[in-house]
Amino acid sequence: MTLITFLLVCVAGMLLTLLTMPFARLSRLVALGSLAGALAAAVLLNPNDSVTLGEVTLATTWFGGFFLSALAASSLLLCVIGLATGWPERLAPAALATMAGVGVAISSTDPTVALIAAAAATAPAALVASRVRSTPLGTTVGIAELRTLALVVSASVLAAVTILNTNWNSDDPTFVLALAFLVVSAAVAVRSGAVPFHVPAALLSRSGEGLGLVLSLVWIPTGFGLIALSWNASIFGVPGDWLDRAVVVVQMVAIATLILGAVGAMLHDEIEEIVVYSIVQDTGFILLALTARSEDAAQPARLWLLAFVIAKSALVAWAAAASWAFESSNLGELRGWLRRAPILGIALVVIVAATLGWPGSPVFEARGTLVGLGLPDPLHFIGTAAILLSLAYYVRLLAVGLLTPTDTVRRAGGDWPHWPHLARETDESVEAAARTASPLVLAVATNLVELEDEASGDDEGVPHRRPNLYLRHRLAAAWRLNRPLETSLLVLATATIAAIVAFGGFGASDASQSGITLDDAAAPPPNPSGLDNGGQPTDTPSAEPTAVPTLQLAPSAPPLASPSPSDSPSATPTATATTGN
Amino acid sequence: MLDAAVFAAVAVVLGGVVAATARDGRIVVLGLMLAAVAATLVASPLPGSLAVTARILGAMLAAYLLWAAAGSGKVNSAGSAIGLVAEGAVAVAAFAVGLALRPVDPLAGPVEAQAAGLSLIALAIVPLAGRDVFRMGVGVTLLTLGSSLLVGAWSGPTPPLEQLAMAALLVGIAGATSLLIPSLEAEEAATDYVLESAPAPVATARPVAARPVAPRPAALRPPAVPIKSNAPERVAAPNVAPLQAVAERKPMTAETPKPIEPIEPIQPIEPEKRPRPMTAEPEADDWLAWEAPAPEPAQPVTTRSARRAPVKRLNEIEKPAPKKATRSRPHLGGKP
Repeated sequence: MTLITFLLVCVAGMLLTLLTMPFARLSRLVALGSLAGALAAAVLLNPNDSVTLGEVTLATTWFGGFFLSALAASSLLLCVIGLATGWPERLAPAALATMAGVGVAISSTDPTVALIAAAAATAPAALVASRVRSTPLGTTVGIAELRTLALVVSASVLAAVTILNTNWNSDDPTFVLALAFLVVSAAVAVRSGAVPFHVPAALLSRSGEGLGLVLSLVWIPTGFGLIALSWNASIFGVPGDWLDRAVVVVQMVAIATLILGAVGAMLHDEIEEIVVYSIVQDTGFILLALTARSEDAAQPARLWLLAFVIAKSALVAWAAAASWAFESSNLGELRGWLRRAPILGIALVVIVAATLGWPGSPVFEARGTLVGLGLPDPLHFIGTAAILLSLAYYVRLLAVGLLTPTDTVRRAGGDWPHWPHLARETDESVEAAARTASPLVLAVATNLVELEDEASGDDEGVPHRRPNLYLRHRLAAAWRLNRPLETSLLVLATATIAAIVAFGGFGASDASQSGITLDDAAAPPPNPSGLDNGGQPTDTPSAEPTAVPTLQLAPSAPPLASPSPSDSPSATPTATATTGN
Repeated sequence: MLDAAVFAAVAVVLGGVVAATARDGRIVVLGLMLAAVAATLVASPLPGSLAVTARILGAMLAAYLLWAAAGSGKVNSAGSAIGLVAEGAVAVAAFAVGLALRPVDPLAGPVEAQAAGLSLIALAIVPLAGRDVFRMGVGVTLLTLGSSLLVGAWSGPTPPLEQLAMAALLVGIAGATSLLIPSLEAEEAATDYVLESAPAPVATARPVAARPVAPRPAALRPPAVPIKSNAPERVAAPNVAPLQAVAERKPMTAETPKPIEPIEPIQPIEPEKRPRPMTAEPEADDWLAWEAPAPEPAQPVTTRSARRAPVKRLNEIEKPAPKKATRSRPHLGGKP
């Protein structure tokens, strides 16, 4: 029931946000409320919840709830940041639609339903991309989006058919597997903007999308990549010449992405482009997880996906906040930004730590494991090279911030705290200024007014109003004056959450041990606390070992590793996923 | 005896051919809807009534979304790049191949589903290779429908939740297509936004009274459409009539000059043919002789994007006046 609640909140929130878009304030309110509701519903997802619709069961897992919570939290934080930096108009409904699709995909026990839902979850990217349709880039971006959608749909359907059917009329069944692996990997690569499919992502970064970039480049690729990884080891882990050749192709794409993505981030001067190429570079690890085709890669891949979602969301928020605070996104004009915005600098350092980690930290080990399993031994140095290259462009960003500030940076207020020094004015002007404060500040100010009234009364206990108005005036002015500070603090909060998750906090390490429903439907979630999200004792003990995700076909069907068309002519391919124990 | 799946498969292919070849956007949408509805019925056994209803509703909603983009007549398909006959031949050939091919043996679904699926996928190739966003959306929809038919043929009956997911996917594709079409209305809204955000340099830089009046070369006249329509009348009227009556008149002398007939004023430009507003200063002064039509009274903005144009930051939005604190006591004099 909790899953249905989550889906209903997402769908209803998306529809309401779209319907109220002509009314800007109402739409923002509905969007933020819907995202907050989706976050609450995701956090409260019961790991043992299941709903059967027809022949398909939707079941939740601990990791599924954690992943959806990460998506919802990132969406909510970015939209709140967008209140200051520029409201991402269609980001909220697109994020809600994506979360609904991903929610169905990772909770379905039927591969076809999961893959079709994952493909449907990629369609909302058009909501964000459509903002630029009237620009010269609009047609190019639109065509790229639709072609990507076509590839994702084709790959999903082919993968579903490959999983479900073993009666291929072919001498070498691994050819079909290789084709499915190649198409699925291509879909992940194209959707993520991996090199050499990075041109649409680069175009999107030049279109001034701002916070909207995170949907197309982080949330949607991560959700689709998670579905693609769920049966990767079970289906594609068989030996075969065709499959090995396909894996080599994907490895080449992954290496090119890891290296050239970082080079692209170093060569560009617009911070949006730097951020986009940084995201592109880190999607190389998703491709490496695909090429690993090993069960050992499942846990680090899931942890990496969690860290990737929140850390890259924080990086996009950082770029938007920096561009807004200094009214420029060009690195040449942003010299000295760190001196004026130290909190943004701290946030960037935290983002770097959450993305790269350090030796011994979970995220660092996860990256190392993916490189070790996804690449042959002679190419393991690629992992170190990727880290060094990443450090290079992050250090460049920080070093530019330490230089002598330019005029652009000097003009900006930065995120140092400021307290307004206001001349005494008339009651009317003070009252008018106080009206500009946000309701939250006015509420706080009203309470302070009462305190001030009591404290500043004369001998007969008669209060005085004038000092209270000045206080309200000052609070209102301080609220507006420190908007960059508030934005920077929100970015820092997002980065801190990313770092905590990347280092295994909030139960991320334990959650990544469990799978999603598609590859681990019947396995009890590893819940070390023994309590569900509602605080009630769970029926399944937490000491259950993590099930090995395997995909079993119907009893009459032959095993996947040795499919033979003549063995089971009447086998009904009603494969369900499985069940490791 | 022919199965119902055969008729449904033929309807699917016909709808696909119509969608891939028609030039009118509305006919394209109708073809897509026919293909999407009929694709639900190419199954053996037929899915449950709930699943069929979900798919049909999804197909209608997807068609409506595309209709909303194409129904205004501003978005038309360029038609097939290879022609109706060629598209039909491709569809029939792919259908025949699908009937004969056995990539999966035995098939878990009807062979007609495989044939219709291959036919739709073949029809989707040409639109997907082009650069027309609307036709590309049509191609993606055909590809999705064809893929779903192949899943039904190769993997057997589809569960209701899969039908629901497929309906959602079709709606998502149609919605994405309708959003990504660079419509004329959006371009006009974008132009209006440019004008609102930046003051027009022509009007502010030089007042109308100070502008020098000079003959305007025809090539530099801004409204191209009205000049073309008016040119024959203006040229022919003063010249042809005197030539016809030249034998009956006295020869013209210097004392009796023939008055020059006034040239017809330039007709006001029709609203739909009005040139786009200028966003930059023209290069020639001859533009100045052209009188712009009288400005229309300010109309309330009706398009969504135009309403959105003057974006305000949150801190620029006027806050309503806060209610006065009811708990505050009256002001009885100030403390020095």
